[in-house]
Amino acid sequence: MLNKTAFSSIGKRQPRSEDYRLLTGRGRYIDDIDISGALHACFVRSPYAHARILSIDGADAEDLPGVVGVFTGNDLSQWTTKLRMAPPIEGVKPLEMTTLPIDKVLFHGDLVACIVAEDRYLAEDAMELVDIDYEPLPPITDMFKALEDDSFLIDETLGTNLISQQSFATPDVHRIMSNGDKVIESTFSEHRQTHLPIETRGIIAQWDAGCEHLTVHVGNQATHPYRSALAARLRISESQLTVISPDVGGGFGQKIALYREELTVAALARYLNQPVRWREDRMENLMAASHAREDWVRTRTVVEADGRLKAMSLEIVEDFGGYCFYPANYLARVIAMILSGPYKLQHYAYDVKVVLTNKCGNGPMRAPMAITSWIMDGTIDNIARELGMDPVEVRRINMIREDEFPYQMATGETLEDINPFETMEKGLALIGYEKLRKQQKADQEQGIYRGIGICNVVESTTYGSKFYKSAGIPGSGHEAAWVRVEPSGAIIASVGISATGQGYETAFAQTVAEGLGVNAEDVSVQLGNTDVAPYGMGSRGARGGTAGGGTAYLAGQDAQKKVLAIAAKMLGLNTDEQLSMKGGKVWRRLDEDWSDTKLTLADVARIAYLDPTNLPQGMEPGIQIHKTYDPPSMTYSNSTHFCQVVVDVKTGAVCIERYLIVENCGTVINPLIVEGQQHGATIMGLSGTLFEQVIYDENGQNLTGSLADYLIPTATEVPDLEIVHMNTANKRTPAGIKGMAEGGVMGAIGALSNSVSDALLPFGIVIDKHPISPNVLRTLLREKE
Amino acid sequence: MKPGKFTYHAPENLHAANQLLAELGDDAKIIAGGQSLIPVMNLRLAQPDHLIDINGISELAGIHQENGLFTLGCLTRHADVETSPLLMDKFPLLPAAAKRIGHLAIRNRGTIGGSLCNADPAAEWPLIAILLDAHLSIQSSGGERHTPAKEFIQSVYTVDLGADEILTTVAFPPLARGEGWAVNQICRRTGDFALVSVAVTLKLDRQGHIERLRLCLGSMDVTPFRLIDVEQAARGKIPDKAWIHEMAGIAFDAGSPESDMHASAQYRREMAAHLTSEVLTEALGRCRAGT
Repeated sequence: MLNKTAFSSIGKRQPRSEDYRLLTGRGRYIDDIDISGALHACFVRSPYAHARILSIDGADAEDLPGVVGVFTGNDLSQWTTKLRMAPPIEGVKPLEMTTLPIDKVLFHGDLVACIVAEDRYLAEDAMELVDIDYEPLPPITDMFKALEDDSFLIDETLGTNLISQQSFATPDVHRIMSNGDKVIESTFSEHRQTHLPIETRGIIAQWDAGCEHLTVHVGNQATHPYRSALAARLRISESQLTVISPDVGGGFGQKIALYREELTVAALARYLNQPVRWREDRMENLMAASHAREDWVRTRTVVEADGRLKAMSLEIVEDFGGYCFYPANYLARVIAMILSGPYKLQHYAYDVKVVLTNKCGNGPMRAPMAITSWIMDGTIDNIARELGMDPVEVRRINMIREDEFPYQMATGETLEDINPFETMEKGLALIGYEKLRKQQKADQEQGIYRGIGICNVVESTTYGSKFYKSAGIPGSGHEAAWVRVEPSGAIIASVGISATGQGYETAFAQTVAEGLGVNAEDVSVQLGNTDVAPYGMGSRGARGGTAGGGTAYLAGQDAQKKVLAIAAKMLGLNTDEQLSMKGGKVWRRLDEDWSDTKLTLADVARIAYLDPTNLPQGMEPGIQIHKTYDPPSMTYSNSTHFCQVVVDVKTGAVCIERYLIVENCGTVINPLIVEGQQHGATIMGLSGTLFEQVIYDENGQNLTGSLADYLIPTATEVPDLEIVHMNTANKRTPAGIKGMAEGGVMGAIGALSNSVSDALLPFGIVIDKHPISPNVLRTLLREKE
Repeated sequence: MKPGKFTYHAPENLHAANQLLAELGDDAKIIAGGQSLIPVMNLRLAQPDHLIDINGISELAGIHQENGLFTLGCLTRHADVETSPLLMDKFPLLPAAAKRIGHLAIRNRGTIGGSLCNADPAAEWPLIAILLDAHLSIQSSGGERHTPAKEFIQSVYTVDLGADEILTTVAFPPLARGEGWAVNQICRRTGDFALVSVAVTLKLDRQGHIERLRLCLGSMDVTPFRLIDVEQAARGKIPDKAWIHEMAGIAFDAGSPESDMHASAQYRREMAAHLTSEVLTEALGRCRAGT
């Protein structure tokens, strides 16, 4: 009747409870929130990549009927503080930015002034009348040139464009590298991309002058850290600020930081004492929200004759754009720390440089460390080519086996509870690897160029506080949740993580239900309001499941403890040891059998709230649990991606014939949601590798300001994905959850790139940059024809 | 991304539309499907003071077979061409071309007249209209005139249309019995503007020699263009593999394509050759199947 060991809510393929409102058009995104009398803001943006602002004349614009005002950096500096990005991290230089630029603009699309008007049409009419005098400066658009001694500087006070540099080396690595063994060199580079949420950024700010309280509706992934930042920059108390993140149409990392536009709107709502709203348009989002990637990577490797890795060094140079909304080492450093993934490597060195240029500032994008698996498995493919070995053999000989876990990487990180060898072997069997290789050879003779790409992924999912500390990244990895059982037995829970479409309301309801022993349908999850939710660290990385779901699960368990203690008293028992909750009812064990006591959660809740003299001695009335939890330093998930392509050498088109993922993401809270995440992540990786690209010309002009030029795939461009699960639990986390939202991106980039290189092996072409467009492939092939 | 201020007009008939145009001249723009005009207005690349909405003028829509021609009103939506039973039966080339335009939502709204007046060198209708020697009817308050598509489409986004004129109908002469055809293009994604497009018709005589060839290339110059000399020289030839290869080589050298972020001029030339070979093979298949 009652199985105490297996989960009942966790693991259920439960339809998403949020989908009813979202799919019937009843969701509440920023534009669905009607605020009477709200003014509209729009931003005047720089047409230059790099220029001094000599003067801004908004008089003609302000004369236009319906225009409230034109506000500049000098205006905003009266009401807001500067952002000082100066984390105590060795090798990272401090940087300051004002709310709106005052003297200098740093990229095409950078902010110059804010116009507030009665509606957005008027604001845009006014924009054409603002007269700005610029002195153009030489644009810095190439990160390598930015590093040259005579380069113009983004920030003169730094004396360099090298904003961050960090190095690491194990004691013997340089000696081994210079022993005279052949050094195998591989390079990889990712182009600049952007997050492209369907809902662009947006904010509504309302100042209540009577209560001296600011309420902000903003699409955001981490509402509490956002509230801390916004309160500090407005010089008000966190208690004077409510941040509400309603339904949000996607974030992918773009909606974590407090942006300058949002701060401007909030400050102006307070100054004007009138609600102000701003909806970013698509061109602004593509050009000026936040970008990601753009790096160049080189590995140098020495190996044994049988392909075993002896030592490896890694160099990364990353183009971070003109502004730092995150510490500059935030993204690239993690790549360096977890590079070796599922492979044994003890002699290792890295050097990571981050450079400022005249482009939009970079931020984390699902996955910040996306290139990691391609670097590692791409390097292994190069080793295989160099030694004339099968790429699978080189993977096998280097892979960490089951009996070698926990495995400490050269950087000190510990891998455990993963099964990369098993996922790879399973996938090889499923695709019929040996047979496929024979087929490939036969097809080549017919002029059909088929490629098989393999990418093993070890995904860093949940960052605990300890990892942040050792990676030199400021911040905490803990999370918070509360669970309340109301007098009627109604259950409400909240977590300090805001949703941007992931289905958290459903997943967290399932983990609370599991901990409390109720049905998930009966748990109402309320997210995204700083007055309701506990202070948590928000949605980022793949922490939603482990940190969010895990904390909610623990809070549910604590709530169940209290319920059972009350139930024992109600049943006249001395102890609750033989009691358990299931389906919202109290069950009692007699010998091996469980029986229904007929006592419900509502019965217990009524006592807790309305008849507290009947509570066990000393117990506080009510059932309200608040819980915080700091996950282990790092949890890891793993997977193997297989991509089979045919390259049409005439047109340069890449056709994905088969895509298989064998994965281990630990305990699955909801298979429906997890598969959706894995599909989404994999497609995002394929999309970035084939299509998406932010292009700046040599003058720093952004050429990809519309979706006609920034290409994302539609359903017709996306292959079917086969996913096979080989999940094993994490022994250290609540319910064994690991997380999994970003690994698909990592695997797709590597598997697809490696498959195209494999297909083009007869031409001696190795893919070392993206996007792999037909035009690029034809250019490479033309050189070989 | 909001348009500047404009006055909206919705004339009820063609005459009223012509009068408005005569009165407002260059300050007015006609709006039909709005698939190109609305985005450029939102970007404020176009800021007309007046918009004349012709969507309510029912006489401008419709597909008819008359006087041996297939006549399409300028307001005919791409999706109407795509799904027209008459055209699918009697003129399948036109539905096949319409199907390649954008996505369904775009085809539901966009019109053949709008596409021709916009004259994007990568668009389908300019390619097809030039391929098939379509005749265009143009109305102004002063009267009606007729012009061949090749003369109407002058350059990138440039057509022979006076400030007071409206393109009213597009008439396509039908293919001959047994005349083969094919249309193909290379796009980054399904529904994108073509990086290169090629359309062809091919008629063989009873001996299998070429009687009439029409070959039109898109995105390879400021307008789609026919290879008239080559078409004439092809008469009487046997369309074997060597000939197709030769034609591909000619297509490679034709026009003066530009390089942009999606494709280099060299890539466009290679694809013009590749597509020419593909469409000629496909059209030959249709000739031989007798359709």
